[in-house]
Amino acid sequence: MVLDQTTLFVILLGAPAAGAAISLLPRDGIEVLASLVSAAISVAVSVLFFLLGTTGTFGYFYADGLTRVMAVTISAVFFTSVAYSVFYIKRIKEPFIRFRWYYSLVDLFAFTMLLAVTVNDLGFVWIAIEATTVTSALLVALEREKTSIEAAWRYTLIVSAGLVASLLSVILVYYSQGTLSISDLMVKTPASTLLMAIAVGFALVGYGTKAGIAPMHAWLPDAHSEAPSPVSAMFSGILLPTSIYALVRTFGLLQGSSVFGPMQNLLIGFGIFTALLAAVIMGYQRNYKRMLAYSSMENMGIILVGFALGGVGAFGAVVQIIAHAFGKSSAFYEAGNVLVAYNSKSMAEVQGVAKKLKVSGYLFTLSCLSVTGAPPFGVFVGEFMILSQALSSGNFLLAILLAVAYMYAFIGLNKQAIQMIFGQQSLASESEAGPESPHEPIAQRENWISVALPFANLLISLIIGVYMIPLVLQAATGFGL
Amino acid sequence: MILSPALLTELSGLFGILVILSALYMQGQSFVDPTIRAISFQSFAIAGLFVVLYLQSGDITLVYLAGITAVIRGVLIPRVMLYQVRNFKHSLRETGAGQRIPSLIIVGIIFVIGGYAIFKSVLLPAALDPLVSVPFVLLLLSFLLIFTRRNALMQMSGFLEEENAVLYAGALIAPSIPLLVEFAVVLDVLGVVLVGVILSASRDVFLTLEAPELEELSG
Repeated sequence: MVLDQTTLFVILLGAPAAGAAISLLPRDGIEVLASLVSAAISVAVSVLFFLLGTTGTFGYFYADGLTRVMAVTISAVFFTSVAYSVFYIKRIKEPFIRFRWYYSLVDLFAFTMLLAVTVNDLGFVWIAIEATTVTSALLVALEREKTSIEAAWRYTLIVSAGLVASLLSVILVYYSQGTLSISDLMVKTPASTLLMAIAVGFALVGYGTKAGIAPMHAWLPDAHSEAPSPVSAMFSGILLPTSIYALVRTFGLLQGSSVFGPMQNLLIGFGIFTALLAAVIMGYQRNYKRMLAYSSMENMGIILVGFALGGVGAFGAVVQIIAHAFGKSSAFYEAGNVLVAYNSKSMAEVQGVAKKLKVSGYLFTLSCLSVTGAPPFGVFVGEFMILSQALSSGNFLLAILLAVAYMYAFIGLNKQAIQMIFGQQSLASESEAGPESPHEPIAQRENWISVALPFANLLISLIIGVYMIPLVLQAATGFGL
Repeated sequence: MILSPALLTELSGLFGILVILSALYMQGQSFVDPTIRAISFQSFAIAGLFVVLYLQSGDITLVYLAGITAVIRGVLIPRVMLYQVRNFKHSLRETGAGQRIPSLIIVGIIFVIGGYAIFKSVLLPAALDPLVSVPFVLLLLSFLLIFTRRNALMQMSGFLEEENAVLYAGALIAPSIPLLVEFAVVLDVLGVVLVGVILSASRDVFLTLEAPELEELSG
């Protein structure tokens, strides 16, 4: 029997939803199995969509190139995060919620993100993104430390407050266009361009808050640094791009209208400001997970600029979303390995990692290089395309600012990462890194899961880059480089 | 109809004024419990507005919305929050808020005037009902409450005020929007359950409901 595509959408969403329900059954180990199987099904179905080139409207669902890319990325990072959780979370001695609840919420978190990128209704997109907050807030507080609980509170409050503004955007779109169906909206000319421009403005505030766009980003470094590493990977790799997706869908409705130009400049302005701010702050961090969080913020700023520029820039943004998701999830898994081994997030206390964690140390360095745009990783390709679009559209000031952001981020992150991995640890700081945290002491360091998963994700980021290099060369030739 | 259209318009304006006054009253509070009672009052005023809008438009959705607003944000959530206050005496007054209250009231009034001016010059030309200026100003005041207070219950009150503002705007702008307001309220309840869990944990770990200045979460 051949399944139709609508059924495939139902399976894509039904798998994590069922995984969430089964995880709560009172049988030992079932939560891990249910989550792994549901994530594997999601990966298989989304890859099938990708290979089939699924496009169009299917009942309540809508798919185009962006949908397919987002679905594959979300499913893949969901799968690797569940698998990495097997290694990571058992070391937490006093979790804020039971582990079966943890797995159930992770499944629901993935479900809400998959719903947001596949549903054919802007209202349901908003609901799904609001639901990501509900499903993930308790995950941030998992380690039951003062900082993680405070981070969870800040996350819930700031993001919920922001998202209410995007509800206003949805209401204004409906008032202006009389429908919330994405497929219908994409072929409609805006009835009131001013009203739609205001709607995009509210979407920028609302979804921008969730995507970590400055100055609404205050929750992001706290939540990313305090959440358990598999959750940090999901936040950075797939939650932020899902919010960008919602913003881009709303912004795309202005295509061809008289207000497109001014709103494009507004998005570019917020994007480049975010990238520059994060790139500068990144270099002054003392906490390595917080440093990675600012790197995510910098990437989201650049991705927003890419989408706002359109053309090759938008294609570059899509490439960067995938490559960053794999590269950054790898970096967060490695950060988790380091945290398990050292019981500290302070870079001053974590030096010479390569001596203690041989594989993780080198993989962490490579992951940092990948997410800061080192060739031939995928992020480099994405960033290059966005830069070339800025140049080809004659926006030289933007091109200069982008180059400055790339450079600052590259130096800021890699300098500190290399110091952390290959530097010498002082005796004083070594004795300070005591095992008085909910994690295990240094004895248990790496195992095959903790190394294989980040390696696999890093490899995907590399393959994306290598596969796309001909496009970069083509663009470079166009500029006489 | 029992009530004339002119009277309904007057009533709508009256409820709008009550909503803004309750928002300004909340800005002027350093004690937590009157703020919670004010958000309850404000939710009832907005429920009243929905009833008036129903009488004007005949859209039955507005009656459901009025009922949900009164029950959830008028009674249920304030009760949960007052329960937190009663069981945790330290949170009765926000530390250090007393000195900042006069300036916060002045900033609040500036927000009302400035917000109306922005509405008139930017949003009104977009063919919106002039009454939308009330929820727009309310939205700005809710942001002020959320981002200038340290007490979690004060911030939560600001969040509820923001939800009130957006649902009010939604009812004025597009009352026929399919299911969205209902979903918003359902998610509101889910959010509050979560907030309740996190607040309880926060209380147990910090022994206060005021956001601490944690060194690890700076920079």
